[in-house]
Amino acid sequence: MTKVLDVLTGNPVAKAVGKQLGVPQATELRRGRSLPTGDVVLAVLAGSGATSSATREALKGLGVTPVDAVRDEPAARTTGEDGRAVPPAYSSKIGAVVLDATALATVPELEGVRAVLRPALRALGSSGRVIVVGTAPELTDSPEAAAVQQALEGITRSVGKELRKGGTANLVLVSTETTGAALSSTLSFLLEGRSAYVSGQPWRVLGAEAGQVPSDPAAPFADKVVVVTGAARGIGAGIAEVFARDGASLVVVDIPAAGEALTKVANRLGGTALQLDITSPDAGQKIAAHVAARHGKDARIHAIIHNAGITRDKLLVNTDEDRWGSVLEVNLAAEIRINEVLLDADVAGGLAEGGRIVGVASTSGVAGNRGQTNYAASKAGVIGLVRAEAPVVADRGITVNAVAPGFIETEMTDRIPFATREFARRFNSLSQGGKPVDVAETIAYLAAPDSGAVTGQVIRVCGQSQIGA
Amino acid sequence: MAQARNAVIVGGNRIPFGKAGGAYASVSNQDMLTAALDGLVARFGLAGQRVGEVAAGAVLKHSRDFNLTRETVLGSALDPTTPAYDLQQACGTGLEAVIQVANKIQLGQIDSAIAGGVDSASDAPIAVGEGLRRALLRANHAKTTAQRIQAFASIRPGDLAPETPRNSEPRTGLSMGEHQARTAKEWGISREAQDELAAASHHNMARAWDEGFFDDLVTPFRKLSKDQGLRPETSVEKLAKLSPVFGKGEGATMTAGNSTPLSDGAALVLVSSEEWAAERNLPVLARFVDAEVAAVDYVSGDEGLLMAPAYAVPRLLARQGLSLQDFDLYEIHEAFASTVLTTLAAWEDEEFAAERLGLDAPLGAIDRSRLNVNGSSLAAGHPFAATGGRIVASLAKMLSDKGPGSRGLISICAAGGQGVVAILEAV
Amino acid sequence: MASEEDVDVELLDTLPGIGVEIARALVPTRRGGPDGQLPTRRVMITDLEQDAERFTAYSRVCGFTLRDSVPATWLHVLTFPLQVHLMAAPDFPLALAGLVHVSNEMRLHRPVDIGERLTLSSSAADLRAHRSGTQLDLLGEARVGDEVVWTGRSTYLARGKRPSGSPEDAGSLSAGAEAPADPQNPYEKAGEASKTATKIGEVPTALWRLPGGLGREYAGVSGDVNPIHLTPLTAKAFGFPRTIAHGMWTHARALAALEGRLPGAYEASVEFRKPVLLPSTVGFSFAREGEDLAFRVTSRDGSKVHLAGTVA
Repeated sequence: MTKVLDVLTGNPVAKAVGKQLGVPQATELRRGRSLPTGDVVLAVLAGSGATSSATREALKGLGVTPVDAVRDEPAARTTGEDGRAVPPAYSSKIGAVVLDATALATVPELEGVRAVLRPALRALGSSGRVIVVGTAPELTDSPEAAAVQQALEGITRSVGKELRKGGTANLVLVSTETTGAALSSTLSFLLEGRSAYVSGQPWRVLGAEAGQVPSDPAAPFADKVVVVTGAARGIGAGIAEVFARDGASLVVVDIPAAGEALTKVANRLGGTALQLDITSPDAGQKIAAHVAARHGKDARIHAIIHNAGITRDKLLVNTDEDRWGSVLEVNLAAEIRINEVLLDADVAGGLAEGGRIVGVASTSGVAGNRGQTNYAASKAGVIGLVRAEAPVVADRGITVNAVAPGFIETEMTDRIPFATREFARRFNSLSQGGKPVDVAETIAYLAAPDSGAVTGQVIRVCGQSQIGA
Repeated sequence: MAQARNAVIVGGNRIPFGKAGGAYASVSNQDMLTAALDGLVARFGLAGQRVGEVAAGAVLKHSRDFNLTRETVLGSALDPTTPAYDLQQACGTGLEAVIQVANKIQLGQIDSAIAGGVDSASDAPIAVGEGLRRALLRANHAKTTAQRIQAFASIRPGDLAPETPRNSEPRTGLSMGEHQARTAKEWGISREAQDELAAASHHNMARAWDEGFFDDLVTPFRKLSKDQGLRPETSVEKLAKLSPVFGKGEGATMTAGNSTPLSDGAALVLVSSEEWAAERNLPVLARFVDAEVAAVDYVSGDEGLLMAPAYAVPRLLARQGLSLQDFDLYEIHEAFASTVLTTLAAWEDEEFAAERLGLDAPLGAIDRSRLNVNGSSLAAGHPFAATGGRIVASLAKMLSDKGPGSRGLISICAAGGQGVVAILEAV
Repeated sequence: MASEEDVDVELLDTLPGIGVEIARALVPTRRGGPDGQLPTRRVMITDLEQDAERFTAYSRVCGFTLRDSVPATWLHVLTFPLQVHLMAAPDFPLALAGLVHVSNEMRLHRPVDIGERLTLSSSAADLRAHRSGTQLDLLGEARVGDEVVWTGRSTYLARGKRPSGSPEDAGSLSAGAEAPADPQNPYEKAGEASKTATKIGEVPTALWRLPGGLGREYAGVSGDVNPIHLTPLTAKAFGFPRTIAHGMWTHARALAALEGRLPGAYEASVEFRKPVLLPSTVGFSFAREGEDLAFRVTSRDGSKVHLAGTVA
């Protein structure tokens, strides 16, 4: 079906009209395991706080040779033909700018951020990256330093909104303990196309241990069992696909009624299908039993991705206990029960030491949504679960994280009324809906064997949506 | 009996059975068999792998489906180098396919196989009338245009009427129901007993569905996630209201409620050697112990069309040194409720034992609480060639749940006066 | 049968067309009637090659599995034109149109292959009185070389006049079939006594659904184009409400139903009791009596017998 806005933005004449109407233009995003085409610029800002060498080390570890930043300092400016001052510029397009701001502790020191970003944003190519590395404010030793570090969030979010052509800006908060190795998977994710639809997000990488660095970077999940629930279609199928690409031994789970679609996913990706109602009391045991049976008695799960979820939308004034309960049961209670079983080290086929749990929250869970009180409750609950469970299992090397997808184009979203859908699609910093693969890549990053330093985090995959911001 | 090695049932998969003209009305045998096969492959992670062979069949088959199973394999997620063939023994097809591959596995010819069947009563082949068919063949064989025109000119309007397959025995012209109605009458099987068995079948299967028993035995297809003919709310009282459809007049007892409806569906079983399963970390539900096939002379009216299992089972028991009571579970295919009841009655009958089986004593009664405990064909439906696969997979799982050593008996009656029976044992 | 030397032979080059013979028989001729003399000659054709294509079609129409060995009824079909040729001849005492085939006996002396060349012959015998008229037999024979492989006896009845001097109660004169009670229905028997009705169950063990065009189909493969089998209109002209099935089709169909139980050599006897109207569904049942098989084609419910027979 032709969509009005596609027509408006698709042909040249309409494009011009569309521009005049103020309809944001969508850029084809760089995706997958691809680095930006232009240079990666690294700027380590001098400051009075504790410095971290993690950023430089991480880039080195990734094999990226950064170039020095051009800084907009008064002395560096030239005068243009019209007599106005012209800031210094890069000689060619750059791919990314990585800004190590960990040492900033006073307000004046924030000027360094501006001086680096001004020329960098001008030179940033398509699907460019702005990566700001800061110190987690709660770990600073003065209120001013905390304020300065918090300011980085405001800067990053605003830069994300200013960027065009698929560019993203994100903030990574580290501690003095964060090593280059621990930060490596995060910087790799952010630089590569895998983070295409993640923008304006701050998250923390505080640990010192990376976990297990995969021998083949292209197949980080080789010989690892990954369980994906709700995998029959939509985002779940996309998640399974990315894990399959990265070498995982997949167990795809969905309700028996979705078995036909699940079959196709399993057979396409070479995994095994497990038809299971995750709300059944013994769902966790059944998953573990399946893993133990199909992957050997000693096999354990490397990662479980709790993607299964349902919506039963109604205004709260019209919501009965069934509508309320079923959503909370599937989206939250089942996940809690399954984790409990899989985290039991004595259960054959349970989660491995150093394993990964990734939940799927939602921007509705962050911001609430009219008519989705039950859903928002369940998804906010997932966020709470992640934050509470992460420290408990940290000593076993297990991480617990979640993603919060925004508007992701699936068969399900095709059923959303046209106007609502177009609104959701357009009103974010990237002027387009995300794809299931964007959510999947973020989950795969969180589940990666070398993302051991990332735990208790919720990353929004929403293109910096203005809905529910 | 000397046996090189065991053939074991790893698991099974079927699609929910549809009512004729129902959910799968426009679906072909190949579509259904592919769905069942892909579901099995997904369940056991066999995508892209080659198994020893796939053996399956259909009772009602289009001429274009001459190589149905192989074509299905080529369209499935299995490695296209997996060999396949069709076989057919009417309603015994599915079980006969399992027997066939199990024998090959025991002999060491293959290590793994998928066996079962499919049938569509909705998409049954319709042949052109004999006159038209002959004329078309003549035209096809004609060497000159004139001959061809002559061939076409010989077609008469009456030749254009299509011929649909009849659900009747070619040699007697009687439908299976009419045959069984006679047998039921001879054995004095009451209407009440038949209706009770039918109601129990529906209730048992509905419970099994509710308990999730079929979660790892069935893959939904075409938006159907449960057997379409299942009537959980049926009762003996409701069934009693139906009028007889087979047999005429006084003493007619067989209704649409206690006879299986025409159905569509497919079912497959994964059979392998123990080593093959172990290498792949696949479960082993049950061991295929032995099987027997019997046939009766129903053409002369000497024996009822569907009575062959009553002969096959005693032969099998004798060979295995078992008694009829040595089983934890019995799966007797419910072609009609009265088929199950006449079979049981025959096993309990002294005269039948003496005159027909040549035995000193009848086999005796079975514990009815062990019979078709998760329902059978009356509730699930009966896509002819698919029934064997359904029963083998379900029984293997039930036996596995009961624990090692538990033993199950399968009995399936088939058109042409045949009966296919087999024994499984949990390992 | 008379010894070979005594018999005149009318040697034919090809099998006569039955339609032509029927037309020939319709030419008004002064015939001898019940008191006349049967021709003594044998009509014969030698070294006949069996038509394999026609045999294929015949097997299909009658329900036989196509085999290289032929059923006894097929050899009847091959000799039938010779019978008709004899009965249509001007010197035959009775009019062909008035003759009803009431019973048939055949003996297949040994299995006969479709590839074997045959010498066929037919002759008439035993003109005799019957309760309802006059009966006679048409004898047939098939040889391969000098070996007799098949013999047949078709008994016909001409209603009405009996030979002069026969007793009023002629029942005892005819061992086999009895006279029809209903003049509209020449097959209808007055009595139902039969040696073959003993052990067969009342309910048919099989049902045959016979289409309206069966008579035309069988005429096509047998050559028997008697109008009572072809269209309802022509059947009406001869006093039948609809077309009727050929008796020899019904006989053949019954043997086909027994295939697998028939020995290599056998004797088959049937009585045609009541015509089978087309289309219709009829019942079939059989029983073993010692070494013999008794069979019956009946109405659907088994109450009326169309054909009763034995294979020994």
